[in-house]
Amino acid sequence: MQATSDLLQGTLDLLILKTLVTEPMHGWGIARRIQQVSRDALEIGQGSLYPALHRLEYKGWIQSEWGESENNRRAKYYSLTKSGKKQLVAELEDWDRLTTAISLVLKGV
Amino acid sequence: MTRVRLLVRRDNAELDEELAFHLQREEEEHRAAGMNANDARRQARIAFGGVERAKAKCREARPGFWMEVLAQDVRYALRGFRRNPVFTITIVVTLMLGIGATAAVFSVVDRILFRALPYAHGDRLVSVGLVQSMEPQEFMLGHFYYDWRRDQTPFEAMTSENAVTRVCDLTEGSSAQLSCPIVEVNFLPTLGITPAAGRNFLPEEGRPGAPAVVLISYGLWQTRYNRDSGVLNKTIEIDGKPVRVVGVLPKGFEMPRLQAADVIFPMTMDEAADRKTNSGLGGPKRVFARLKPGVSVEQARAQLMPLFEQTQKWIPAEIRSNFRLKVRSLRDRQMQDVRVMAWVLLGTVLAVLMIVCANVASLLMARGAARQRELAVRSALGASRGRLVRQSLTEALLLSLAGAVAGCAFAELLLHIFLAIAPASVPYVTQAQLDLRIVGFTVALSFVCGALFGLVPALQRPREEMLTGRSIASVSHARMRQWLVVGQIAASMVLLTAAMLMLRSFWKLENQQLGMREDNTVTARITLGEHKYSSAMSKMMFFQQLATRLRFLPGVEVVSVSDSLPPGGAHAGVRYGEILVDGKPRTTEGPGSVVIARLVSPEYFRALDVRIVRGAGFQESDLTSNERVVVISQRLAEMLFPSEDPIGMRLNFEHVGDPNAPWYRVVGVAANVKNGGLTGEETPEYYFLRRYRAEDWGRWGVWAQTSVFVVRSSLTEEETSKAIRNQVAVLDPTLPVDIATLRQRVSKLADQPRFQVSLVGFFALIGFTLAVIGLYGVIAFLVAQRTQEIGVRMALGAARADILRLVMGKSLRLIAVGVAAGLVAALSLSRVLSSLLFGVGPRDPMTFGAMTLMLVVVGLAATLVPARSASRVDPSEALRAE
Repeated sequence: MQATSDLLQGTLDLLILKTLVTEPMHGWGIARRIQQVSRDALEIGQGSLYPALHRLEYKGWIQSEWGESENNRRAKYYSLTKSGKKQLVAELEDWDRLTTAISLVLKGV
Repeated sequence: MTRVRLLVRRDNAELDEELAFHLQREEEEHRAAGMNANDARRQARIAFGGVERAKAKCREARPGFWMEVLAQDVRYALRGFRRNPVFTITIVVTLMLGIGATAAVFSVVDRILFRALPYAHGDRLVSVGLVQSMEPQEFMLGHFYYDWRRDQTPFEAMTSENAVTRVCDLTEGSSAQLSCPIVEVNFLPTLGITPAAGRNFLPEEGRPGAPAVVLISYGLWQTRYNRDSGVLNKTIEIDGKPVRVVGVLPKGFEMPRLQAADVIFPMTMDEAADRKTNSGLGGPKRVFARLKPGVSVEQARAQLMPLFEQTQKWIPAEIRSNFRLKVRSLRDRQMQDVRVMAWVLLGTVLAVLMIVCANVASLLMARGAARQRELAVRSALGASRGRLVRQSLTEALLLSLAGAVAGCAFAELLLHIFLAIAPASVPYVTQAQLDLRIVGFTVALSFVCGALFGLVPALQRPREEMLTGRSIASVSHARMRQWLVVGQIAASMVLLTAAMLMLRSFWKLENQQLGMREDNTVTARITLGEHKYSSAMSKMMFFQQLATRLRFLPGVEVVSVSDSLPPGGAHAGVRYGEILVDGKPRTTEGPGSVVIARLVSPEYFRALDVRIVRGAGFQESDLTSNERVVVISQRLAEMLFPSEDPIGMRLNFEHVGDPNAPWYRVVGVAANVKNGGLTGEETPEYYFLRRYRAEDWGRWGVWAQTSVFVVRSSLTEEETSKAIRNQVAVLDPTLPVDIATLRQRVSKLADQPRFQVSLVGFFALIGFTLAVIGLYGVIAFLVAQRTQEIGVRMALGAARADILRLVMGKSLRLIAVGVAAGLVAALSLSRVLSSLLFGVGPRDPMTFGAMTLMLVVVGLAATLVPARSASRVDPSEALRAE
């Protein structure tokens, strides 16, 4: 829980979009993947993942579909849409700009 | 709606499934890592956090979420209202009164105060001319008008109409009497009026010898010519002469003086002739002008001063100082003193609106205070501040909407009542209709004040102590509500004193002695058209014939014919200084006040029951005599002959301007009559006899067209009226007759004060009632809040009387502060009313004293109820409530 509030505003969206680039996933899978990839450094508050997923879906960046899960149960799978891909590119650029700027400032001091 | 609900339900089901899957998967993972079932479930829950919270957040992310919330808020608010119907009804009725009254009065006043005149750039139009004590409306004379028009600098254009709007007859088809103003050819263009059809007058149509052309009104075009454009360039017959119609006036056209206009004639501008008519004065005109852009009325007046000084030299020295230059905006010219009334009404209604807002605010704050615990609970259960604020706003909006709907209906009703009682002297009032912008404005205002005060409790961070249910009432609210009540009492004090002043003034007006008899007296006013009755002889013949016919009607006791009737003013008169007494030097004091004159038949004094206090008055023999005789009023007699007997004295009234004016012998002194209008003073007056001579019937130009018959009979007023109508029809069936009892004519003069007093009184009552309700509410609330304290006091030995005194003392303090503030405000504002008052000073001590007493008494009575309930508090119960 605490970790999410430390995440920069909008960063969760970026992480979700990035995670979905490779393949459609369900919510639990997304949470898991972010945790693994960040080597458990970023623990997503699982509860706050879903409102973000729904918001992104309403914005049209991801879409959902009910499918069969790895343990043979009905699960909701999310995948990137075209505009979601575009959004990801834009957000990555923003992110790069931001981190560069921050590191510049930090180095400069 | 059901579809939306189904959709929402499906979404919720899917969300449940999705989250359940997540938890299950997480649990499986933990089980796989070797945990037992319980620990795995627990761990999964911990990792997830609040499930319901997540669900709520997901729902909030939906785009239609606000609608769901709104629907929920509305449902919640409605449920709240239903639970508390007294509160709801009080607020809605309060709002209804406020919104309704404001909207209705604004709709009437708007046209008087703020409406744009129906002319292009109407704000730049002015009325300009001279005024004098006998003619307070600005006028000009042909003798100098042309010089002014040529030499003036402040105006873009200057134009005029004949001071007298002619009565003319349409003499084709079924003939009819019409109102026919005569205007300069540039009149309509100067006002910025374009005809609805056809064209304006051409410059050459104002030159002598031009072919006769006219513009007709839209109304005439519609009723007479069926809106047929074929009427253009057609010749119609007016007063027996053919005239060509060249244009039709636009639909809403109004003459600047608001008189009727059926057919408009162009004025023939023959400067040389115009300077000489009217015994060398030139034709009287009403002059209007359009200011150049950026020139103010004051600047225009200053720039006209040289012209005025030049004109003054030409005015006879005796009366020169009596003439002044007057330039005022057309709107002021049209509204006269109605403006003051409109402002007073507006002020009244705004005061009522303030009281209404204060009441709504106070009620909502009381409710808010009572709901603090509920808010605290909701907040503890996770309702965000925003949510609580939204809830309050929804409630305020719903209440103002309900108030607005009720208010609109109420406004419509009020407007109907206004129109029914409004006197004809208030311009435009019949055209008033409910203005939606104004309704919108008042609704917005009530919403704002509802929202503002409804929000106060919602915005305060609910404190945890609230949950305990102890009444830690926010003191600030209570204090604010008390200030609101003080404001309400002050405002209603102002309203009440204003209403009372006007009521007393009206009462005096209605009950004053007119000095004449009003009962069983029917009057008939008849105006003869110039066409059929062109000579003074023909007019005399008609009026005498009619008088004779009326005299022989069964039951008729007396019939008199005069040119005018009191208490209205007369058409003519002189200034006091102009009256010459034979054998006495001319008075050297300035021109002095006005002395009015009437032309009467010998029976006049008997018909109106005006006593002849000295002398014999007019005799039948005087009608055929060569000698000119006059009856003067007691007032005039006292002024002219303080120590002598006036009978037999010879007076000359018209020597200014006419050295050969005739002398008149005084044959009687008549008792004073209320003759300067109802609110005016008793003006000195003299009466000329209309003998059987054409010259006596042709006096005073156009006024000779009109005569007023006074008929007293033993029949009922309806029968007399009918008989008069029949007799007129026998002589001339086309002639319109204006019949009214003398009482009606007198009462008509009181129409405007009656209108004012009923409206202001009505609003004052509304305001007062609301203020008292507000006071009651606050005291009741304070008592409820202090129940425990009262219980403790009683437990410690306080008697009932002490508690009663405690509560009443509190109330009295509020009332005292409010009344004091109101008195100060009322005393400083009431000066505005002075022009509307009659026989009562604007600071009438009786009015102020009575209203203070009434407010204090009624206010205390209103607090008696909560005070008594406070004194009945059962200490043991009050303390147990802790």
